[in-house]
Amino acid sequence: MVTVAFTLNGKPVSCQVNETEVLVDTLRERFYLTGTKKGCGTGDCGACTVLLDGDAVRSCILLTAMVEGRSVTTIEGVGTLEHPHVVQQAFVDASAVQCGFCTPGMVLTTIALLEKNPDPSEDEIRTALSGNLCRCTGYQKIIKAVQLAAERMRKGN
Amino acid sequence: MVKEKYVGQRLARTDSLAKATGAAKYTGDIWMNRRDMLYAKALFPPYGHARILSIDTSEAEALDGVVTVMTADDLPGKNGYGGMVPDKPVIAKDEVLYEGDPVALVAAETKEAAERAVKLIKVEYEPLEGYDDPAFMLDPSSPMLHKDNPFHKNHNISDEQIIRKGDVEKAFKEADVIIDNWYKTPLVDHAYMEPDVAIAQYDPIQGGITIWSPQHAVQLAKRAMSDAFGMPQSRIHVCSQLVGGGFGGKEDSTFDVSVVAGVLSIRTKRPVYFELTRDEVFKGTGKRHPSLIHHQLAADKSGKILGIKVETIIDKGAYKSIDAIPSRTTQYAGGPYSIDNALTHSWSVFTDHPYGCAFRGLGSPQAHFAMECQMDELAHRLNMDPVELRLKNILRDGDTTIWGQPMMEERGLGLEECIRRVTSDPKFNEPLDNSDPRIRRGRGIACFMYGTGTGSATDGAHVMVQAQPDGSINIGVSASELGQGFLIAMKQIAADTMGVSIDKVYLDYADSAASLESGATVASRTTVLTGNAIVNGLEKLKERFAAVAAPMLKTGKENVVFFDNKVFAKGLENEGVPLSAVIAKAFSSQVPLGAIGSWYPPMAAPKGDGLGDKMHTYAFGCQGVQVAVDIETGEITVEDALLACDIGKAINPDTVEGQFEGGMAQAIGWALMEEHFMSNGRMKNHTFHDFLIPTAKDIPNLRTIIVEHPNVLGPFGAKGVGEPPIVPGAPAIRNAVYDAIGVAINEIPMTPVRVMEAIKKSAEKS
Ligand code: FES
Ligand code: FES
Repeated sequence: MVTVAFTLNGKPVSCQVNETEVLVDTLRERFYLTGTKKGCGTGDCGACTVLLDGDAVRSCILLTAMVEGRSVTTIEGVGTLEHPHVVQQAFVDASAVQCGFCTPGMVLTTIALLEKNPDPSEDEIRTALSGNLCRCTGYQKIIKAVQLAAERMRKGN
Repeated sequence: MVKEKYVGQRLARTDSLAKATGAAKYTGDIWMNRRDMLYAKALFPPYGHARILSIDTSEAEALDGVVTVMTADDLPGKNGYGGMVPDKPVIAKDEVLYEGDPVALVAAETKEAAERAVKLIKVEYEPLEGYDDPAFMLDPSSPMLHKDNPFHKNHNISDEQIIRKGDVEKAFKEADVIIDNWYKTPLVDHAYMEPDVAIAQYDPIQGGITIWSPQHAVQLAKRAMSDAFGMPQSRIHVCSQLVGGGFGGKEDSTFDVSVVAGVLSIRTKRPVYFELTRDEVFKGTGKRHPSLIHHQLAADKSGKILGIKVETIIDKGAYKSIDAIPSRTTQYAGGPYSIDNALTHSWSVFTDHPYGCAFRGLGSPQAHFAMECQMDELAHRLNMDPVELRLKNILRDGDTTIWGQPMMEERGLGLEECIRRVTSDPKFNEPLDNSDPRIRRGRGIACFMYGTGTGSATDGAHVMVQAQPDGSINIGVSASELGQGFLIAMKQIAADTMGVSIDKVYLDYADSAASLESGATVASRTTVLTGNAIVNGLEKLKERFAAVAAPMLKTGKENVVFFDNKVFAKGLENEGVPLSAVIAKAFSSQVPLGAIGSWYPPMAAPKGDGLGDKMHTYAFGCQGVQVAVDIETGEITVEDALLACDIGKAINPDTVEGQFEGGMAQAIGWALMEEHFMSNGRMKNHTFHDFLIPTAKDIPNLRTIIVEHPNVLGPFGAKGVGEPPIVPGAPAIRNAVYDAIGVAINEIPMTPVRVMEAIKKSAEKS
């Protein structure tokens, strides 16, 4: 077992984990942050995406021990039912959510993208999201949601 | 009189904000803080077909934290379960028939202990030959997979269906042209993002059990698992949390996980959690049936189709599951066309593969793939425009289908409009850029029809409606929220029917204890069948409340109008009383506030020879695509896709488009990349990096057109929408590739390897 201290959704936390434990399990099973989904566990689907110091990473192939001293943001950390993040609201408004299992990962990947590129082209959006699988939507309304969020963020709301 | 205030509006899905913020709880999200929950694992065999010689569980049982290890000898009931028949063993006893047959089960205090324990179970196997080829297994001299196959006199056939209409031999004799080809479609996974999972909790009070598991049919689940639990169906309580994608697959796969959690919970009297890894989902759960289709089509030189002869061999996999594919492939073998003479014949055949189950379209995509390729072959042969050829043959008002069902405009018959709107689309008619000799572009279309509901004798829906004295309404429905948006659609239908604001409608859903049998959330049936049952239930309440309100309003009960949470006499909108006051009055006047709403479609009417009315209404559609083929790599890019689909009435156009777009994307995956490779009963590719599904980079901008030819029997005119959109994509893409490179590819997925082979073969021929 190792002790890991890191920042989780803005607050300092620490926990004891097995050396081989992956971050998605730590988040879900120790912190009950179940918004982070596990779709494959092999790094292929993107459902487990979280932000690590602002970058979108797959928490199912990241050892918890590796986040020592770093900052982790999960879907619960970016907005709430009462105060959703502009990207979350855009996903709702663009009807981009179907079964919703990919949605937290999509939202976090979008936030990371728009942070670096506030006005992405459709092609850049598709490239940024290409590590996040969605089986329900055909990505159509997800792309629209990213565009809507980008527009709203540029206008400052 | 019902005003449409919400129906037809683009209202946000009920569940979208909860999902986008991570607040929504799926089944896998509700176990980790429960200290009393046991964690389960199953031991799966390293063979697709093997005899079990011995099992030694002693080391696993001795491991710290292990509560129980079960083999086939320890079951509480019969060793079988299933949606149609209980033919799938809970735990394999003497033999495994595919990689997804569990050999032993473990329940332990922790995940780690469960994972370690399954590795300590020692099983001695005698590997047997794995049967991969359904055409071989169809031969009566082939070895027998199931001893004493109860389903058919030929030992490996699960189901056989035939449609016979008119005089096919005469039609083929009189034909000017006969188009004769073989088509092949692959074994594919649903690839829903949420892996299968179940929680089971034994009920010591009445000797029952509660199951939480994402699925399509909480009422069917009671019937499917009762033998395995050794309990009457009534004692099984099933809840489906939000479903993280299903597409038909979780109609069956939920049983695979629920019986495991269930028998462990019955044995230990503790709550049990069981989830599959993605690898186990790929190897063990149901798939879209692969098919091999021999399609012969006879036509005269004007392009009129005179007859079809179609034989379809379907890979059933190891167990029966949902076995409607022979019926659907015979039904849709002639596409949406008026054909007087038909002989269509299908068999589903057992192999050592994952069982074939329901998957969006249920055999219709396979059947239409062959038929719509044939239509383009015919057009080429006759040098005719493929669009004109289709318009010449489509089903119109009064025509009968190959199964002898007359088509009626009043049930919605919008195919011609779909074809015209796609083929007249300006972008679809822009000149193609073929300036680069390496990148060849082309366009293709495909048409289809798809029935709403199962068309079976049991199809019907029943719901509970309950008015509350504060003016709000509860509706108990057994349907599941799979992401399709059923919650919002039902609210829209209910709010308009009852004349209340939409926030007054609350659904008690996907819980077998809070609902009646309303059928599975499959077969594109929920909006229409459950929607109609809700309308029926609410109309009953309105009739009662109108009688209560009439004296309050000093009018006759036939003049009472419900709208905007108010009740008023026709024409006197400003003088009404609140609905809550009327309900409160009813509550204190011995008028019941609850009712059961029911709806059955007109009875399917079999007349022999596979003929007779099946579903009461059909969705129709046409898809156009533009592709670019790189003739040096064989890579196909879908550059444009436009789908027009007649679904009667869009209750919520946003969710309807969502279904269109999702289906179109799945069709692109099926046409171009998805395929499980099986060898000796073992799956060669079982991860998302070797079983590829489309990413955002593989899908073009998806364009959709909602066409509305109302169904007089549907709620507000609706027909089913969930499955239809997947049907035309693959043949449209294949026809576009044909148009681009002049090479016919009759096997999907059209991977670069297959495209290059086809190009090479066709070059050799010419
Ligand atoms: S769960 Fe991590 S990428 Fe799929
Ligand atoms: S909404 Fe279901 S996987 Fe994306």
